[in-house]
Amino acid sequence: RAQPKKKKKVDVKKEQAQKERMKKKLKKLEKAAPELIPIEDFITPLKYSESNRVRSLPPLSPEEAERRVLLLKKWCLFKQKQDEAEKKAIKALVESQQEALKELQLESEELYQAAIRRDEGLFPFEREGPSYTPPLPGYDPPEGKCIDTTKVYTQ
Amino acid sequence: GALLGCHRSYRSRPTHGIGRFKYLLPKEVPKKRKEKVQMKEISAGTEYQYGDLNIQMTSYDLCLVEHFAQYVHRLCNRLSIRVNDSYAMPTKTNEVLFLEERGSKMQLDAVLTTHQRVIQIRGLSSTFAPILLEIIQSNQPEGVHLLMKQHTEADFKSRLKARPELEELLAEMS
Repeated sequence: RAQPKKKKKVDVKKEQAQKERMKKKLKKLEKAAPELIPIEDFITPLKYSESNRVRSLPPLSPEEAERRVLLLKKWCLFKQKQDEAEKKAIKALVESQQEALKELQLESEELYQAAIRRDEGLFPFEREGPSYTPPLPGYDPPEGKCIDTTKVYTQ
Repeated sequence: GALLGCHRSYRSRPTHGIGRFKYLLPKEVPKKRKEKVQMKEISAGTEYQYGDLNIQMTSYDLCLVEHFAQYVHRLCNRLSIRVNDSYAMPTKTNEVLFLEERGSKMQLDAVLTTHQRVIQIRGLSSTFAPILLEIIQSNQPEGVHLLMKQHTEADFKSRLKARPELEELLAEMS
C-alpha cells in the first residue's frame, strides 16, 4: 500500500523540478537579445587580405593622362546635364499634378477628396528589371535543379 | 596644525586651479555598449500618407544592386522623404545543377548569390507616390527586381537568427 503513495509523491516532485528547470532555461534564453544574421557581402574573405600579389601598372604618358582628364570632365558634364534633366522632369510632374488637382477641386469637391486619398491597391508593387537578352522563343533548356545552399545561422 | 611646505592652491587665492588642463583636451567619446536589437514601431500612416514602406531591390549582381540602393537613398534625401532604415538582407546562395546530355549525373553549372537591399521610408504622401515610383522604375537597372510593400513584423523577424532551442522549449511548455 505504501508503494503507490511513494510513486505519486516522487513523480509530482520530479515533475515540478523539471518544470522549474525548464522555466529557468526559458528565462535564460529569453534574456539573450536576438541577433541579426551576419551579411556575407560585407565580410571580405581572408584569401583576399593575406595575398602578396600587388598589381603594378605601367606609367602613363602625358598625352594619355591629358586624354583621360578631358574624358572625365566630359563625363562629369554629361552626368550633370542628365541629373538636371531629371530634376526638371520631377518638377514638371509635380507642378502639372498640382494644377490638375486644383482644377479638380474647382470642378467637384468630392472627386478632389477621393483623389487625395491614398491608394490601397498600389502596394505591394513588383517589377522585374529590363534584360539585355529576353528569353529565346524556341529554346529547350537541359533538365536540372536548383539547390538552396544558404548557411543557416542559429543562436 | 597648518601643513608647511604644501603647494595646494586655496580657493580664495588667485592661483586656484593653476594645474587644470583636462578642460583643454578633446572630449573622450564614452565606450559604446552593445545596443539590443529591438523592433522599431511600425507606423500605419494616415489617410493621406503611407506608413512604413519597404523598397526591396534584389539581384544576382552585387555592385548593381548596391549602387541602385545608394541612388534611391540619395533620391529620397533630395526629395525630403524620411528614410527610417537602409539595410541589407542576408545573401542567399543557390547551386544550379543540370543533367548532362549523355549520362544520368547532375553536373554543377554555377553557384549564384542573390543579394537584396532594403530602404525603409515613412510618410510618403499619396499624391507623390506614383511620381516616385515612376522615377525609380525609369532608373531601374537590368536584372534588378524591384518590390515595394508595407513593412511588417514578419519582415523584421526574417532578419534575425533562428532560435531552435527557444522554440522547442516554448512548444514543450504549451
